[in-house]
Amino acid sequence: MNRMRLTRWVSCLFVMLTALCGTAHAQTPDGAQQQAQRQQTQPGNNAPVWRDVRGGENPYQTTQVRGRETAVLIQSGGETWRQTRRVFTYYGGWVLAIVPLLIGLFYWRKGAIKLKEKPTGRLMARFTDWQRMIHWTVAITFCVLALSGLIMLFGKYVLMPVFGRTLFSWLAILCKNLHNFVGPVFALALILMILTFIKDNFLKIYDFKWIAKLGGIVSGEHVPSGRFNAGEKLWFWGGVMFLGIVVSATGFVLDFANFGQGRELMQLANVVHAVSAMMFVAAFFGHAYMGTLGTEGAYQAMRQGVVDETWAKEHHDIWYQEMINSKSSTVAGAQGLVIPTTIKQG
Amino acid sequence: MARMKFLCDSERCIECNGCVTACKQEHEVPWGVNRRRVVTMNDGVAGAEKSLSVACMHCTDAPCMSVCPVDCFYTTSEGVVLHDKDPCIGCGYCFYACPFGAPQFPQDGAFGMRGKMDKCTFCAGGPEADNSAEEFQKYGRNRLSEGKLPACAEMCSTKALLGGDADEVSNIFRDRVMNRDGKGAGVFGWATAYGKGDAKPSAQEKVTPKVEAKP
Repeated sequence: MNRMRLTRWVSCLFVMLTALCGTAHAQTPDGAQQQAQRQQTQPGNNAPVWRDVRGGENPYQTTQVRGRETAVLIQSGGETWRQTRRVFTYYGGWVLAIVPLLIGLFYWRKGAIKLKEKPTGRLMARFTDWQRMIHWTVAITFCVLALSGLIMLFGKYVLMPVFGRTLFSWLAILCKNLHNFVGPVFALALILMILTFIKDNFLKIYDFKWIAKLGGIVSGEHVPSGRFNAGEKLWFWGGVMFLGIVVSATGFVLDFANFGQGRELMQLANVVHAVSAMMFVAAFFGHAYMGTLGTEGAYQAMRQGVVDETWAKEHHDIWYQEMINSKSSTVAGAQGLVIPTTIKQG
Repeated sequence: MARMKFLCDSERCIECNGCVTACKQEHEVPWGVNRRRVVTMNDGVAGAEKSLSVACMHCTDAPCMSVCPVDCFYTTSEGVVLHDKDPCIGCGYCFYACPFGAPQFPQDGAFGMRGKMDKCTFCAGGPEADNSAEEFQKYGRNRLSEGKLPACAEMCSTKALLGGDADEVSNIFRDRVMNRDGKGAGVFGWATAYGKGDAKPSAQEKVTPKVEAKP
């Protein structure tokens, strides 16, 4: 039965392919036909050929020079890319300048989110060694890539007038090599980090309430959240997952130029790469602020892997309750109390 | 001051690749780098085949110059677009932007990493001292400083490829267009080459161009 279906499918495909090949062989490009006729009526009028030179490669366009797209006479994509690049460099630059300013303004007016109650001194394990290692691998490679990428994109306008061209070009060469070699490490670490943290990042009902109240950042109240609050989950799905994968995939297209990919693909990859990378950096400013200056005790969680009981209660109450209720998971060592006995006494 | 331009006459180019060879030989460019190439449109389609030699066209508003992250391009007083290889980081942006596919990248190191960009210099060398060993090694010969025109155009057997002062080049081309008798073989100068009158290839003109696929 299956075998028969397969044979029928294959033969069907074969018929379709022959039909396709047949038409492809019989056709001569329109431009060539037009030119042949034009040569008759108006000798020396090569308009059809000149219209064709921007059309990319057709089977009747040849060159003796070997290489990628060498038979293309004129590619129009370059100008589109140049203009697009100008636009995103301009607006992207402003976004990346304004976002830290806004964060600074917020910190200046509102200050850090402090603990409301006194720390109990009892610590809870929040991130395992592996989780912290993979987080910092991604974080450090991200910073290297972001900095080198920004230098290559904006350095011409910002640093070169200060450093001069020779010194800046040394920096740019360093940045290009760092970017090219650290990139794949980032992509690999990113995938491992996604696998590590995906379990606790699925959206729950209470996350929507958190989003509706903007995490209480305006009102100052605490909105219930699990191990990660909805803001962190948005960063995970939108930033790490979506932007991370888009940036890595387009980065590979640009990094490994030896797979015969054409200019059109690389122009597109470059635009997507740069735009998503700038969005990634802008979002990263928010994440880095919340994880260090913005929230008292948050940095310690990723640095040492532990948080104070009060911190857990005030920031991630649902996770806190889960940890208290399931002592078994603390034995597994992933999360939970470092000193379970003291918690009981408390 | 002269403004240097290339022009390729599609009625004269016979795809001999003499310009490509002349360029390689003059500048001793490394393998895999082709500063100039000849592209044939509608190859094998009777009556529609045209060839053109293409290299850096030394644009007035050069896209490569605009996108270069280290600003390594400059225009000489003669309108030739040159570049400084020292600051070049090998990012390939000029290659993405160039309409003509002029920038070339010798592979340098692992994973197809791009080396310093190389392109047609209109035989005008680079920023180093004229005709110095360093200039030759990086950019090839500097013919303009010796009062010579680009090797490719000088070498062109049918004088299809013209290179030089834009005014001169356009004068020559205008002259050609005006003097072409405008019909069939006359367009590419049969009469000039083989004489007028009886020798005129009536058979050539009567041939019906048949559009057919390349074998």
